[in-house]
Amino acid sequence: MNEPRTVAPAARAEAFDGSTGGAFIGRVRVQARAIRTGWLQIFGIPDYERYLEHRAAHHPDLPVLSRREFFAQAIDRKYCGSGPRCC
Amino acid sequence: MNKVTSILLWVAVAVVGALAFAALALGRGESVNAAWLVTAALAVYFIAYRFYSKYIAEQVLRLDDTRPTPAVRHNDGMDYVPTNKWVLYGHHFAAIAGAGPLVGPVLAAQMGFLPGTMWILAGVVVAGAVQDFIVLFASVRRDGKSLGEMIKMELGSAAGSLALVGVLAIMIIILAVLSLIVVKALTGSPWGLFTIAATIPIALAMGIYMRVIRPGRVGEASVFGVILLLASILYGRNVAADAVLGPLFTLSGTQLAWALIIYGGIAASLPVWLMLAPRDYLSTFLKIGTVAALAVGIYVVAPPLAMPQTTRFIDGTGPVFSGSLFPFLFITIACGSVSGFHSLISSGTTPKMVEKESHMRFIGFGGMLAESFVAIMALSAACVLDPGIYFAMNAPAAAIGTTAANAAQVISGWGFTITPELIEQTARDIGESSILSRAGGAPTLAVGMAQILAKALGGKSMEAFWYHFAILFEALFILTAVDAGTRVGRFMIQDMLGHLYKPLGDTQFLPANVLATLLCVGAWGYFLYQGVVDPLGGINTLWQLFGVGNQMLAGIALLLCTSMLVKMKRERYVWVTLVPTTWLLITTLTAGIEKIFHTDPKIGFVALANRFSAAAAQGTVLAPAKSIAEMQRVAFNNYLDAVVCGLFVALVLAMCWYTIKICRQALRQAQPTAQEVPPLAPAQGAVA
Repeated sequence: MNEPRTVAPAARAEAFDGSTGGAFIGRVRVQARAIRTGWLQIFGIPDYERYLEHRAAHHPDLPVLSRREFFAQAIDRKYCGSGPRCC
Repeated sequence: MNKVTSILLWVAVAVVGALAFAALALGRGESVNAAWLVTAALAVYFIAYRFYSKYIAEQVLRLDDTRPTPAVRHNDGMDYVPTNKWVLYGHHFAAIAGAGPLVGPVLAAQMGFLPGTMWILAGVVVAGAVQDFIVLFASVRRDGKSLGEMIKMELGSAAGSLALVGVLAIMIIILAVLSLIVVKALTGSPWGLFTIAATIPIALAMGIYMRVIRPGRVGEASVFGVILLLASILYGRNVAADAVLGPLFTLSGTQLAWALIIYGGIAASLPVWLMLAPRDYLSTFLKIGTVAALAVGIYVVAPPLAMPQTTRFIDGTGPVFSGSLFPFLFITIACGSVSGFHSLISSGTTPKMVEKESHMRFIGFGGMLAESFVAIMALSAACVLDPGIYFAMNAPAAAIGTTAANAAQVISGWGFTITPELIEQTARDIGESSILSRAGGAPTLAVGMAQILAKALGGKSMEAFWYHFAILFEALFILTAVDAGTRVGRFMIQDMLGHLYKPLGDTQFLPANVLATLLCVGAWGYFLYQGVVDPLGGINTLWQLFGVGNQMLAGIALLLCTSMLVKMKRERYVWVTLVPTTWLLITTLTAGIEKIFHTDPKIGFVALANRFSAAAAQGTVLAPAKSIAEMQRVAFNNYLDAVVCGLFVALVLAMCWYTIKICRQALRQAQPTAQEVPPLAPAQGAVA
């Protein structure tokens, strides 16, 4: 797969705005995020926010893909490889 | 949980299950409620999950949470993601559930509700869920490798290549049979065709929205998409009634076949984001929503089963498919009890998302139980229908003619009393001009669902809406499968052509792409067209060919699991996979050989081909063919079907031979020889 090349600082900031605000609101946000992530995974929809979090946690110094590129690549990987459908 | 409470709870589940079965099996002469059928199934699932899957997880496979899964080792935040077990269960279920569990049980209902129910329940516990679970386990222990790669690793590269040829052949047949189901459902149905056609511009608009207008906003696009879909169902009634549009959307079977072939070629050549991805999201939403609605509907409405426990057609003379209960029931009901295709999904995206090994019991075994539950609901919906209506919809025109009066007379003669008025009234209720000979499962299920859902929600006036909703729901994911399947088939064909002439294997080389696409579409299109013009109904032949292929693939996957257990030195548990393998081999080899060589032309391909070609040589035209050319085509097609069926039989025998050879080698070794990733392997080529 192509190496990430686009830096999108705005997108990265967007993913972490959940950390501000009160503790209660923070907890609600965490819960809401978990539910959202779960739904996306069930339907096999790529999750850009989770990707940003993963990159921030493990590779904060490396550039990340823009939302557009992330989706383009994720959809290509899902459908263009092998991976037959079920009956 | 407290031990005593636990024992009491499971005794209670067993008692409820036993009562439900008693109601099903002993209720002589009076109709049984569908709720009993569903309850009996649920009790079986809970008990099988609690006890049998636990045994497999702890004793046979010895799942070990200290071993990192591929998702943990390669976690890249994209494809390899450790996923919550409930979420992954949903994802896995959405991936394995397709048209299969909806079609097979509906066709098998011609033998009554009991034979189908028994095989769905026994098959899923002993074979289907075991296969899905163990293949998932094998893939997770092998870094998320696919079925083909695992066969190569464990049984050798020759076996791997053979298995790929088999998978391609099954893909071709399944694409043909799925398309045929759509053709049967939409022939002469302007309302249905309009709503299905409308999904194309809706999907394109969603694709453009998600790519260009608001990149990555799948949720927003999906909300618009679903609203537009519902609007297209409502508006379809006006289209059907319109003097100009109505006839425009009324197509014959052959016209629809050509439309689907052209659609398949174009759709598989478009960029995936434009149509395939958005349509896939839509179909997944509808699939999960509809299955849930049907489950609730059956309990709320609690309709009585109108179909008897068994019908006289267990002797093999049934109009929907020919052949006796053994072996043909076991290849007609494929996906609800055991499906070879699941081994491709269990070694696809799911193993890359498993967080802990112990989760695989719930996801692999439990996921297949949910699929089986869908099959039970489809069977219930078909058996809720008046049997006369069921046979009117599923028997070919060659048997019941083309008018309601004729059909009613023939079907009443079989012992299922029905009036022409009821047949016509049913068609009017669902907003169609005719319900005769709509074989293939989808329309029958749609009528059953419409009657159940209309009772729960909206009443009689909503029946036509629910019917077209159900048709849309099935056609939507069938068209997605046609699109995605054609792409996968193209890759496989290119891969094979690349061995003959290198440039043809280059997926970036446009002429090679076009050639492979044409070959793939041409192959399934040929079988589809043959099925559409087949006067005996097409589904009759193609579904059984698919059943043989699919169950053979399951046999191959279970042979792989067997060899893996032997190579792990767990041979004392090998019966867990050997019992279902043996049963699958007995039923599918018998069915495969009977389909080729049976002397009854209704069953044997060769017998039918010989009959037609002999008559053609003498210049006699046999009904339902109308000319010598048609006679020769029938003969040729049946010889071709015999060859495909023979290919499946030869393939599975070859795989048996490889497995026996490998197992004998492994038995002589003192140490395990299975090629697993070692327990604490470092991440290989750590990504992202």
